[in-house]
Formats: sequence, structure tokens, C-alpha cells
Amino acid sequence: MMMGGMQEEEFDDLLDDWFIESLKTYKDLHVFQLDNPSQVIEWTSEKTVCVAGYSASKNEILELRLPLKLFADENKGLCAERDFKVVHGGFTEGPVRCLRHVPGTRCVVTNDGQNADLQVWDLGGDDSDVIRRTGSIKGRRVSETGSRIAARPSTPPQVLHGARSSDVQLTQLISGQTLYELETTSDEPLSSLQFVSDSVFVASCFNGSVYIADTRTAAAPQLSPPPPPSGESVLWRMDTSVAPQQSGCKVVRLSSSGRAVVSDLRNLGGIACQAQLDIQTRPYKAEDVSVSWAPRLDGYVSVSGFGGAVQIYNTCAWTPELQDVEPLFQHRGHVVLSEQTDGSVPVFITSHVWHPERPRTLLSAASDGSVHVWDWVEPDTRDVS
Amino acid sequence: MPEIKVTPLGAGQDVGRSCILVSIGGKNIMLDCGMHMGYNDDRRFPDFSYIIQNARLTDFLDCVIISHFHLDHCGALPYMSEMVGYDGPIYMTHPTKAICPILLEDFRKITVDKKGETNFFTSQMIKDCMKKVIPLNLHQTVQVDDELEIKAYYAGHVLGAAMVHIKVGSESVVYTGDYNMTPDRHLGAAWIDKCRPDILISESTYATTIRDSKRCRERDFLKKVHESIERGGKVLIPVFALGRAQELCILLETFWERMNLKAPIYFSTGLTEKANHYYKLFITWTNQKIRKTFVQRNMFEFKHIKAFDRSYADNPGPMVVFATPGMLHAGQSLQIFKKWAGNEKNMVIMPGYCVQGTIGHKILNGQRKLEMEGRATLDVKLQVEYMSFSAHADAKGIMQLIRMAEPRNMLLVHGEAVKMEFLKGKIEQEFSIDCYMPANGETTTVTTNPSVPVDMSLSLLKREMALGGPLPDPKKPRTMHGTLIMKENSLKLVSSEQALKELGLNEHQLRFTCRVQLQDPHSDADTLHRIYTHLKNVLKGYTIQHLPDSTVMVESIVIKVSSSAEDSNTKVLLLSWSYQDEDLGSYLSSLLKKGLPPGLC
Repeated sequence: MMMGGMQEEEFDDLLDDWFIESLKTYKDLHVFQLDNPSQVIEWTSEKTVCVAGYSASKNEILELRLPLKLFADENKGLCAERDFKVVHGGFTEGPVRCLRHVPGTRCVVTNDGQNADLQVWDLGGDDSDVIRRTGSIKGRRVSETGSRIAARPSTPPQVLHGARSSDVQLTQLISGQTLYELETTSDEPLSSLQFVSDSVFVASCFNGSVYIADTRTAAAPQLSPPPPPSGESVLWRMDTSVAPQQSGCKVVRLSSSGRAVVSDLRNLGGIACQAQLDIQTRPYKAEDVSVSWAPRLDGYVSVSGFGGAVQIYNTCAWTPELQDVEPLFQHRGHVVLSEQTDGSVPVFITSHVWHPERPRTLLSAASDGSVHVWDWVEPDTRDVS
Repeated sequence: MPEIKVTPLGAGQDVGRSCILVSIGGKNIMLDCGMHMGYNDDRRFPDFSYIIQNARLTDFLDCVIISHFHLDHCGALPYMSEMVGYDGPIYMTHPTKAICPILLEDFRKITVDKKGETNFFTSQMIKDCMKKVIPLNLHQTVQVDDELEIKAYYAGHVLGAAMVHIKVGSESVVYTGDYNMTPDRHLGAAWIDKCRPDILISESTYATTIRDSKRCRERDFLKKVHESIERGGKVLIPVFALGRAQELCILLETFWERMNLKAPIYFSTGLTEKANHYYKLFITWTNQKIRKTFVQRNMFEFKHIKAFDRSYADNPGPMVVFATPGMLHAGQSLQIFKKWAGNEKNMVIMPGYCVQGTIGHKILNGQRKLEMEGRATLDVKLQVEYMSFSAHADAKGIMQLIRMAEPRNMLLVHGEAVKMEFLKGKIEQEFSIDCYMPANGETTTVTTNPSVPVDMSLSLLKREMALGGPLPDPKKPRTMHGTLIMKENSLKLVSSEQALKELGLNEHQLRFTCRVQLQDPHSDADTLHRIYTHLKNVLKGYTIQHLPDSTVMVESIVIKVSSSAEDSNTKVLLLSWSYQDEDLGSYLSSLLKKGLPPGLC
């Protein structure tokens, strides 16, 4: 018992240190604990996100309203509301590995990571707090890997989905009608699907190759090979920046060994700049690696999946030659606050997203079920406050 | 079928009026008697006319139980007991009993003296009401009357807060009041036995929220204090003597130490005396850490926190002051506020809820010009910060408590129209129990299956064990045979012999007899022998005897043979067996009806 007490106090001291340090490094910081970890964080409105569990059997889908204090710009001091509100919730039969909100609707589409089929959910309105399953969409082909999903505003609502480069299709949600099919000769597992405009989308594969196609034409897609040198046994994740204020559309590809390559969407074969990131550990699972462009900070990317931290990098400082770079900022909160005892797998980040409007606000989720909302401070402006 | 009825008269949000009626085993209990602080009219108090009209509540209620000292749980108590009329027992814990009248008096002063309301309870009524209070200790079973017993459990939340287990016979209900499943810097976490009540009635104030961590709340507090100190401002923290003040002092002390800060921190003297007094009295209600600290030194012997003198308020430079009362309606906190309000560098941090009509309530609503006594107006330029440190269970906490208590039914009380279908579904799925959410005035009825305890005699138990062969599997139910005796209020299971002896009865034998006709051209003696041989062949392992008195016996079954008067080839077999051998007896009779096989000698 003595030992236990001592350890607890040491842990408390460690926490005190981190929190005191955090006074300078974060503007806002909120720490929540869900019953189960989530691999998805998806915006459903300006103030709400969806999360969902990924355990083998039953799981919950929750729509959470972010703390009101975060949004109270005037008289922020008078707002004491700093909790997540569970505005809607529902139950799933299987894991949720991918979840996409269809913009302009109260509809989300999920995939369980075990086959190509999709589940369609109604998030519910003001009259009910229950999320209900409303239908499903069959995958184009039987697949053992899960589907990626992309959605954009459209009436009637449609989703682009597929598990491999050979089975990507656009499906109308209500009728289940197939509106478009991507024709490729390859059959690579997909790492992501993204719309870059109303009809142009990017399908990226784990081997680093990228297809660009237009859902309006049946013309063959444009294929870009993996960044050179290829042949490395790494997996690649990708994100495209589509924010209007940024110059052109940039693509960042991140390998499971921590190499990040930025290219112009119009010239994916070329390298605009690149860097070897300061990843402390190899990813626990290569598929967990994730990279996102900051929607409001030109050239900033966030990276997670290598252990328990979310890192922020500024690609503007990178060069076409591969160089080692340090992160501009690291959110280590999930590791520091984790009470997991030794022996188990260390905490790793399962998902993270940028707030679409607030420049430096991110949400991150970890394998211990923690979800953090944090507004970080740019290092060189810290003492100016 | 026996049933338990639960009717909320008013219960719910932070500032609601908790009051719940429970009818269990013929007893009526009122759980909490709170007021709604957002109203000035009739809606302020629960609607007691629902219970009984034009009569005293004493006739209807067996007891009243108050969970903790917050006014939304006890604010209507003097009104109920002294103005509506109730003379029965009122139960609350020792700390609640000590603190409750102080808060009621404070509130009465604000309502009557400041706001000039009439038709409110008086100081004398508070005193008279408190005379009816019987204090409760944690985990002590209190017998309200011969059948009704109650037991209090630790609820966290605030000093003295309790959950209560109410039991009549084998039926029971647990009422949580407000509770907190995570310990904080000065209180522990709620805890209850696996008491498997028929209904768990839980507050659901934060049932649809996932709470931000305590650490982040504290971080925000430190950030605000630090920012103000850094720019040379003064920070006023109006507090109630008990509760968050201790927690915030411990926090600031730690912070000052680590950051090596020099700005003075003060607390007003009334605060220390009162707090020390109560903490000495109720040290067992705080958490382990505080108890340890308290043994070593005085609760308020801090290195960085010193006693305040009213002249210090005019000192130049930054400082932090904790002062009472918490709602800025009078006293030292109000005096300091008036002095500091005009400077935008200064800050006031409100760490809790404020009642309508107080300065605290006004500034929290963003009011920047305050009318003071004597027609003066006060310009509020200082920074106002509202922070909630209230410790309630969120959805996760509710689930934890269900896991702990293992109730057969769950009931969430809420006054406002909050939709909690999802939570209800979650509870019903995870625990396979029903979850109810009655509105105010709506009654939930739950049928109970009370288990009936039966004593069993040791000799019977031993005998049944011996009969069972190998050792019985303790997890599997087993049928036992015995006689159930119901005497006075107890039930016992004994062996039949013992039951006969105890009741002075003679044992009666029940025998079955039957005649079977048989064609067998032999003498009666030969036929009997042939039957004997036949049965010997068929019934291996049974005791079969051919007795000299011309009978064959198979276990207890007697077989005799006689010839028919008309036809000597027609034999009449007479079979007779006892009730115990009924199965074998009927088998034998049907066997013999089929006749004897040829070739028997």
C-alpha cells in the first residue's frame, strides 16, 4: 500500500508539472474520457462531432456537442460550460472503422473494416436523441478490407466508396443506384478517398500511388506512381488541401517510416518539398498513421499514429531535398495523462482532426478512450500574450 | 403482487427542486425537499398538495430524508414542516444537519430582508424544523419503525452528502441524491454496497454529458489567476466557507510553490474559523489525503496563504483574496468587490452558483452597472470569470454506480424535458434492467418479487447431501424434499419425521391396491412361484422375496394369488404398495397384466 501511495503521488506531481507547463503552450485544453476508444472523429456541424467504438461486437455511435466555452468568444469568462454533451447516440452491431458525414444532411455512413458494405444512419433531430440505422449499401465487390468513404454536398445525397482501387463507385444513398464506377487496371487497397471539387476526387492507395478522376466522365483516371524511391516496404497515407485561400491544391503523402512528401495535385510525380519527420516510434499499426492539412494555417500539417503524440509541422520550411525536421508543436497529453499500467500496449493516437474554423484547435482520440480538445499556442508567440 | 411506487414532485437540474415520494411496503417516504431557485412564486416549492390537501403531512409520511445541504435539496424543508405541517422524523447526516440551517438562514435573509418578500419561512421556523432532525452516521442502519430501516452511504459531491438505502422487509430502494464517482482534492468518491435494491433512484443532472477533467477545470482557474497577477491585478474569489474554498486553496498553494510566485494570497478570517470548526467536526467525511494533512497541521496553515485584514484591500500591487459569502450578497466579499470593481486589471472568479437577486447573480448575467444602496451605481470594469467546480456523476458515473449496486430497476429523476432515450437504451442493454424516467407528478410503479428466506434444519441438509451421491455443484439448483413449516413470521424446512414430531401428528400410511386377472393353469402356489421367477428375471437389482406366508414381495410391494371362484385357471393377483413405491407398483401391475411368459418352471 505504501508503494502504491508513493507512485500515485509521483504520478500526481508529473501531472502537475505537465499542466503547469500547459498554461503557456495551450490556450484551451479539455480532456474527456469515453467508455471506449474511437477510431473516427467526424464533424457533423460547426459544433458537433461523431465518434464511434471499434470493439469486435457491440459499439456506440455518439454525436457530441463541443464545450460551449470553446465557442463563447464574447464574455467567454461568463460561460462555465466546458463539457461534451451527448446530443445523439446509437448502437452498432460491429466495429466502426470509417465514418463519414454526408454534408447538408443528418446522415452518416459507416464501414466496419471487415467488408466493403456500408451502413447508413440517421443522426436524429431535435425530437429524439437516438441515432438509428436506416439502411445499407452493398460494396461493388466482396472484400475483406474495409471501405473508404468520401462525401460532398449533393441532392439527393451520394457517397463515393470503395475498398480497393478496382471497386470505387459513387452510390446514391436513398435509391442505392450506382452513379459512377472508377475503371482501373490495378487492385490496390485504398488508404483514402477525397473529393477535391464537386466532381473531381483523389483515390490514394497504401502503396503510395494516387488516382485522380472525375465522376462526370467515364474517361480513364490519371494515375501517379508512389513517390520515388519506390520499392520501400512502407505504407502511405495522404491528404489533399482544398482550402480556398491556399495556393493551388497540395497533396501530402506520409509513409509509415515517417517520410512526408508534398506535391502539387497537378504534378503528383514531382516533389515540391519533403522531410523526414521526428517520429519517436514506429507505428503500432501502419494503417493508424494519419496526416492532415490544417484548414486555416497555410502549409501546416498534423501527424499522428506514431505512438501517443499528435505532431504539428510547418511544410513551408521544408525543401525539395530530404531533411530531418522537428515538429513545431507536439500534443503529448494522451501519453502523460494515461493511467495505463506497464505491460500493456502504450497509448497510441487513433484519430485526430482539425477544427474547420478555429486555426489552432484540434480534437484527438487515443486507444485508452481519451478524447482531447486543444487549442495550441504557436511557440514563438507564447510570451507575447 | 407487491409493488413500489415512486413519484417525483420536482427534481432535476442544478437549480431544480428535488423532492421524491416513495411508497414501499406500506411506508411513505419523502426523499429531499428542495426549492427551485429560479422562481419567486409557487413554483419555487414542490407541490405538496399532491400528497394531501387541507391536512398535515404527518398523517401520510413515515419519514423525510435529506441527502445534502444544497438548497435545491433542502430549501423547502422549513416550509414543508412548519407551514404545510409535518412533525415526523427528518433524517440527514451530521454535517448536513450542521450546515443546512446556516444556508437556509442565509437564503431567508436574501429573500426576505433584501428582496422584501413576504409569506416566507422565518428564522424561528428554521429552528423549529431543525429540532425534528435525527442525524445519520455512515453505514449505520437506523430503524425508523419496526419495519422501515434506512442506511446512509458516502456520496462525495459536498461535505456530508449521502446516498440512502431504504428497506422494508425484503424490498428496498436506493436514492443517490447528488453524487460524484471521482474523488477530488478534498472529497472521496461515492461508494455503495452491492445491495441489489429493487429500484435505484439516481439524479441525472449530468446524465447526457461527458465531463471535462477536473485537472482542466483547475488549469483554467490557475490560468486566470496567473494572468491577472501577471498584469498587476487583484483577484477576488468569493466562496462559501465549506467546500470548494479548501480545494482551491490547496490548488493555489501548490501552484505558488511550483511557480515561485510572490504575490500574497489571503483568506478572510471568518472563513478560516468556520471552516476549521466544521472540518474538525467532520474530518471523516473528507478524503484520505486531507485527513493525513489535517493530522499534521491545521487545515488553513498554508505557507503562501495568510489571514486577511480589511486594510489590505487598499494595498498596492497584485493579490488574491478568498472571502465569504460566495454570492457577493453581503459581508467581506461584497466590501472587497466594491473596492476593486472599477479597475479592469482586477478579476472576480465565481466558483459556484448564485441565487437570483444577489450581486453575484447579476454580474454572472453580464450586468455591468449595479445599483447599490443609497442610489449609487457601481461600474463593473473588472474581469468576471464563472467556473463550475460542481461534482456530479456524468453518464459514466451513473453506469459505474449501477455496476456497484446491481439494482433490479433503474429510475432517473429529471424535471426538465431532457431527452434521455439513448441513455435509457444503454442502461437497458448493458444491465438487462428496466429504466424509468418519470416526469414531475407522474408515478412509476415497479412490481417486486420479494425473496422469502427459509431456515433449513441441519439434519435434513445432511441427509439430502448424502442422497445426492457425489459432491453437489454449488452453482446448480437442486431439488430438496422436506416439510415447510410456517410459524409466526418465520419459515423453515425440516424432514417429515421432524415436522410430525414438532406438530404432534401421527404418521399415516397411504397404500394402493389393485387386482390383476391372469390365465395360468397351475395351482395358486405354483403360480406364485412362477411370478417370483418371472420378476426375478425381469427386475434385476431389486429385492424380491418369496415369503413363507404365500406372498411375494418386491421392495414394499406385496403380491398374493388366489383362484377365481368360477374358473380355477383364472388367477386373481392382489397387489398392494405404499405411496413411496407408486412408480414401481404401477409398473408391476402393468407388467403382470401382460401375463406370464411360457416356459417358466
